[in-house]
Amino acid sequence: MNKLRAILKRLCGTLFRMPAGDDFDEELEAHLALDTERGMRGGLTREEARRQALMRLGGAEQVRNAYRERQVLPWLESLLRDLRYSARSLARHPAVTAVAVLSIGLGVGANTTIFSMVSRFVLQPAPVGDPGTLLALHIMQKSEHCCNPFPWPLFADLRRQAHSFSDMAAYYELIPASISGGGEPERVWGQGVTPNFFRVTEVPMVLGSGFADSDDRIPVVVLSERLWRRRFNSDRGIIGKNVTLSGHSFTVTGIAPAALHSIDQILDAEFWVPLGLTPELVPNLPPHDSREYHWLAVVGRLRPGVPRAQVTAELNVLAQRFAAAYPKTDQDNHFVFEQAGSLPPRERGPVLLFLSALSLVVVLLLVIAGANVTSLLFAQAVSRQREMSVRLALGATRGRLRRLVLMESVLLSLAGGATGVLLSLWATQALSAFHLPAPVPLDLHIGIDVRTLVYTFLLSVTCGLLLGLAPAWAAARPVMTNALKGEAAIVRIGRRISLRSLLVTAQVAISLVLLCITGLFLRSLQSAASINIGFQTRGLLLLSIDPRLHGYTPAQTSAMLRQLRQRVAALPGVDDVVCTDVALLSGGNRSDGFTVSGHSSKGEPYIITDLYMATPGYFDALGMPRLAGRDFGGETPNGPRTAIVNRAFVDRLFGGANPIGQHVAGGGWTYEIIGVVGNAKSRTVGEDTRPILYRSLDQTVADDPSLMGYTLVVHTPGNPGDLADSVRRQVYAIDPAMAIYNQETMQEHVRRAFVLPRVAAMLFGVFGGIGLVLATVGLYGVMSFAVSRRTREIGIRMAMGAQPGAVKRLVMRQGMMLTLAALVLGWPAAWMLAKLASSFLYGIAPHDTLTFAIVPIVLAAVALIACWIPGRRAASINPMDALRAE
Amino acid sequence: MGDKTDVWQGTLALMVLRTLETMGPQHGYGLARRIEQTSGDLLELNYGTLYPALLKLEQEGYIRSRWGASENNRRAKFYELTRAGQKQLRKAAREWEQTTEILARFLNPAGQG
Repeated sequence: MNKLRAILKRLCGTLFRMPAGDDFDEELEAHLALDTERGMRGGLTREEARRQALMRLGGAEQVRNAYRERQVLPWLESLLRDLRYSARSLARHPAVTAVAVLSIGLGVGANTTIFSMVSRFVLQPAPVGDPGTLLALHIMQKSEHCCNPFPWPLFADLRRQAHSFSDMAAYYELIPASISGGGEPERVWGQGVTPNFFRVTEVPMVLGSGFADSDDRIPVVVLSERLWRRRFNSDRGIIGKNVTLSGHSFTVTGIAPAALHSIDQILDAEFWVPLGLTPELVPNLPPHDSREYHWLAVVGRLRPGVPRAQVTAELNVLAQRFAAAYPKTDQDNHFVFEQAGSLPPRERGPVLLFLSALSLVVVLLLVIAGANVTSLLFAQAVSRQREMSVRLALGATRGRLRRLVLMESVLLSLAGGATGVLLSLWATQALSAFHLPAPVPLDLHIGIDVRTLVYTFLLSVTCGLLLGLAPAWAAARPVMTNALKGEAAIVRIGRRISLRSLLVTAQVAISLVLLCITGLFLRSLQSAASINIGFQTRGLLLLSIDPRLHGYTPAQTSAMLRQLRQRVAALPGVDDVVCTDVALLSGGNRSDGFTVSGHSSKGEPYIITDLYMATPGYFDALGMPRLAGRDFGGETPNGPRTAIVNRAFVDRLFGGANPIGQHVAGGGWTYEIIGVVGNAKSRTVGEDTRPILYRSLDQTVADDPSLMGYTLVVHTPGNPGDLADSVRRQVYAIDPAMAIYNQETMQEHVRRAFVLPRVAAMLFGVFGGIGLVLATVGLYGVMSFAVSRRTREIGIRMAMGAQPGAVKRLVMRQGMMLTLAALVLGWPAAWMLAKLASSFLYGIAPHDTLTFAIVPIVLAAVALIACWIPGRRAASINPMDALRAE
Repeated sequence: MGDKTDVWQGTLALMVLRTLETMGPQHGYGLARRIEQTSGDLLELNYGTLYPALLKLEQEGYIRSRWGASENNRRAKFYELTRAGQKQLRKAAREWEQTTEILARFLNPAGQG
């Protein structure tokens, strides 16, 4: 404690230079005076007494120095002195320093941006109390990939019997609800949770409390801080008041922190209601007594000190026990778990692969940037060899010189790191603005958190040390005799391949790799843009409502949608209005297994089919070709069910035979096929064509209502965006409290479906571009430097009769040899790495011929320019000036 | 002169604290003289080493200083013990006694002591 205090005092002494020196001089003077007086009392002369006093003291100057060293931290002081010196020497070459800082800034910024994604999706623990002991549990079935949610009885059994956990909570992941009051009516999403949810997760409330264990059937709600701020104006008196969700009244008991979106950190929920009341908000919820429907996400709080291995063992035992007790449903189950808030098991693989690929790319980028800086530092070291030699001759140690150069590179890196953080602040904001195409709300916001800042700081310091190492070594070992004569002292005579040439070769090689990958992703975007999505996008306006959330019965919903279609159809400029549940390319929708009805024997084809609802005219409005049969028309809600299927469905289930009039069964219903339409992309642009079955909207609203609401599709020959306001007015004319959401033109909607190839192309495009610029700067720098070092030699050559053209060729040949070597090294590396990217490419092979042919040519062309400029400068050297200059 | 002993590392601080405890506030020169006298002039104290030691103790908060007038009305800096210094003195003294006791056992073989 007291030692620390002393260090702090000395730190202050170092940093603020207290005027204590004078103070001590006076004290010392007093001491000497007292001692002199004593000597004089003993009979000595004043001079002799003072001389002896000084001897006893051990020399005034020595004492002063010892005292001063004790006042400050000497090592820190010399460090600061070096720092000041380094900063000054960097400031002497502002252009070089700026290029170095910007290079590192771009490299570090790219790394910071990607690390912020890693931090957000891999490292960030869930915003719960003690995240390390909260586990998310899943069911894994032997025959299937990971992972399934839980049926209620299984959750209840597990909660009762698993002793590794102090308690478990379950939640239903997403509930849509309408909310009104305080602005336009809005659709919001929430979760249905067991009442112990907030106790188990230990989420601290901003206001109020969570749920009591007896709350399961009581209409209470916890609101997210975000919803509370947006719609309730941060009203601190809201606890105990009622809010209306989908027409039902709920009492607010707590406000959950804004950081809580969902335990899985992907879904974006804004309210939580007890699971027991969820059926009021969601139709057709699985019954609590069924062991067949998997619908609940489960988290468990570990008992203190229970190791993970014990949890695995206990869950295995329980799985076997359940399998024996319920062979029909639990036979092939076993349980897996991970820390709550980790990436969902299903997405983990691709996300990790994508992040690793990006990490690799940004590390390569940093290597390119670092090579530039090392190169610059080398050039600096060369131009300072004389200064270094003088210092050495005057007695500076090599260690001290090394420290000076290292200090400079660390300083450069730290400045670069700061630049990088600024760049990535902007980049993460830009990335967060992209929205994934998904029918449910996702929270994918990324930002710069403390973890990322620490990482960036460490990265910058490491970079600085690594980059400065070689130049520091070289700078501290000048060939003294040469240096003092003013000749080359660091570039050793007789060494053919300099380190800088190696660096620049590596740079160009790496940037070839980056550019090839960039090329692949750009080609992928181009190829994605030419994918036939199966419907037209022009002149279409989309707008969604969900009357069910406002208390409409199925019949009322049907009638309301029909009335709305009629009203909108009457608007000027509208030539077609149809309705579906969810627009195509929304990222996913209902799907079910289908078979040809009547053939229930085993071995019969069974295909997973995406289900959509449609009203008459839907296919014509979207410009989808009707290939056989007829369109919907005249279906009654309780009449025989009809369906229109796409060609893929026919191919897969009927082997291409005419299916009109045939019956197919799936999801508990049998449908008569009345028509066939062309294929369309259902969930994502990149998917293989899926079988789709379109059902009559009026026949489906009652038994299988859409959780996502219903989407009005309006066709106009004009600009669909202009229609939005008048269509909204028609909705409000029927029901002023109706929440409208997902309002966009079909072109906007489809553009969002391309977000993945676009983001990938953008990221890699930016990285590839930066890499190219940095490598070009590097090549240019090395060539310019070589020319300036050889000014004298070139001057002699020209004096001896060399033509300017020959000189230019001499320089350019040197540069192009480096480039050629780099291309020869980089091309196979790019070829191998391209495989890694293959799973993210749309419609092109990873070894795309065009990319691998064009990129080296482009790179060589850029390199040619980078060499041509120094070459021209070499050719314009005036022999007389060159030889005279010393 | 040959009989005098140099001050051992680390013991100077203890001597300073102890002297300040018995004598009350002292200036640097007075302290130096006092330490020499207490040692029966067996110690040869390099006065110069005293001041960094005093600064160290002050930085550690065991003593504090203020300017005052010396016996013959000279301005001098006076040092005095703080409460933390008293505690530290007791602790260091105890440790020192223990050390000497242990060493004494080695130097006086069993039976003789």
